[in-house]
Amino acid sequence: MESYLQSANSLVIKWTVGLIVLFVLSQSLLFLWIAVKRGRAAGLSDQVMRRAFRAGVTTSIIPTLPILMALIAMAPVLGLPISWMRLSLIGSAPYELMAAGIGAKTMGVHSLGGEAFTPAVFANAVWVMCIGSFWAIMIVTVFYKGLKKRYALKAAGDSRWQEVLTGSCFMGVFALFMADPLTSGGVALATFTTSALFMGMCLFLIVKFKFEKLREFALTLSMIGGMAMSVVWSLYFG
Amino acid sequence: MNNEYKPEKYERLNHLIGRITLPAGFILTFLPLFVLWKQFGITPEWLKLVEGIFSISVLMAPVSLVEVLTFTAMLGSGAMYMSYLTGNITNLKIPSAAMALEVCEVSPAGEEGEILSTIAIAGSVIISEIVIVAGVLLIGPLTSHLQQPVLQPAFTHILPALFGAIGAFYVLKEWKTAIAPLCVAIVLNLVGELPTALTIPLCVVVSVSVARWLYVHGFLHKKEVPVDEYAG
Repeated sequence: MESYLQSANSLVIKWTVGLIVLFVLSQSLLFLWIAVKRGRAAGLSDQVMRRAFRAGVTTSIIPTLPILMALIAMAPVLGLPISWMRLSLIGSAPYELMAAGIGAKTMGVHSLGGEAFTPAVFANAVWVMCIGSFWAIMIVTVFYKGLKKRYALKAAGDSRWQEVLTGSCFMGVFALFMADPLTSGGVALATFTTSALFMGMCLFLIVKFKFEKLREFALTLSMIGGMAMSVVWSLYFG
Repeated sequence: MNNEYKPEKYERLNHLIGRITLPAGFILTFLPLFVLWKQFGITPEWLKLVEGIFSISVLMAPVSLVEVLTFTAMLGSGAMYMSYLTGNITNLKIPSAAMALEVCEVSPAGEEGEILSTIAIAGSVIISEIVIVAGVLLIGPLTSHLQQPVLQPAFTHILPALFGAIGAFYVLKEWKTAIAPLCVAIVLNLVGELPTALTIPLCVVVSVSVARWLYVHGFLHKKEVPVDEYAG
C-alpha cells in the first residue's frame, strides 16, 4: 500500500502531470487568442471581450471549490498528482470516483483505499478512469464538426428562435439542478432561496440604480451570500 | 466575399485545433500511467482491466453521445473543445458561458455569442486551474481548514447556492420558458435516483419543445421581459 503511494507521489509523476496541465492551459490560451483576434475583426470592442473573460473568471472561482474538496478526498487513495490530473482534465469529480470505483470493483475491492487497495487495484482504478473518457473525446473529435454544421443549418435565419433555443437548453440543465433543493427541502432549499433572493436584489440594483459594475459579480456575490447563510440555516435546521 | 470568408476561417481553425488537442490531451493522460508502469512496475491486471473497460464503456458511450448532442446547441466550437478537454461542463463551463453572455448583453445566437462564450470559458479554465494548483500546493493546511465542521454546510451547499442564483436570473429573464422544464425536473427528482444520461436530455427536450410551442404561438415573439426592464 505504502509503496504504490510513494511511487504515485514521486517527483517524476508530479512533473509529468504538471506538463499535462500546462498543455491544457496552452489549449485554452490558443482558443482565447484566436477568439480575441476574430472578435476584433468582427467589431467586438476589447472592453466587451475583457468583460466576458472577467465574467468567466469570477463565476468559476467558487464552483471550483468542490473540485478542491474532491482533490482532498482522492489524494490519500490515488496520490496527489494523479488526482490533480484527473480533476483538471476531462470528466468531473463524480465521474472520476465512479470510474475508480468500477476499476476497483472488477478487482473484487469494494472501497477506495484501505488494506485491500493493492498497487494492482490502484492501477486498474486509474486506467479505467482514463480509458472511460475515450467515448466523450472520440465523439466530440469525430462527430462534433458535422453535428454543429447540421444544427447551424437548422437554426439559421431566425436569430430570435436561436436565442430562445439556446436559452431553453440552458434552462433545461439548470432546472434539473434547481429541482434538487426544491424537492429535498431543509438547508438546501433555504440556501437555494437565499441565493435566489440575493440575485433578485442584485438585479434590482442593476436595473433600478444602473449599478452596472455589479452585473459581473452578481452571481458570485449571490453564491457567497447563499453559502454564508447556509451555515446559519444549518444551525437553525440542524 | 472577403468578410464572409473570415468567420468560416475562424470556425475551421477552431475545429482544427480542437481535433488535434482533444485526442492529444486524452493520450497524454496515459503518460503518468506509463511512467508508473515502466519505472515503478505498477501495472493493472490486464484481464480485469478489460472487464473494467467494458463496464465503464457500457455506461459512458451512450451518456457521452447524449451529452455531446445536448451541449452542441449551447456552446460554440472553441468553447466545446475546451470544455471537453477540461471537464466539469454542467457545474462550471455552462454557467460561466451563460453569465458572460448576460453580462455582455449579447445573444447566444450568432458569432458574437460564440466568440464571447469561448473567451469566458477560457477564463473559466485558467482560473480553475490556478485554484486547483493552489490547492495542490497548499493541500496540507487546506485540508484542516476546509474540513472544519462549522464550514461544512457552506461547502456541501455550493450547488444549491449556484443554481439558486443562476436559476433566479433565468426565471426572471424568461419565466414562460422556465415553467415546463422546472415541473419536469421536479417530477423526475421525485421519481427517484435516475441517471443524468436520461434526465438531462429529457429535461432539455421538454424545455426546447415547450419553448418552440410558445414561440410558434406568438408568446415569445417580441423580446421577452429583458432583465433590464423587469425589475424596473
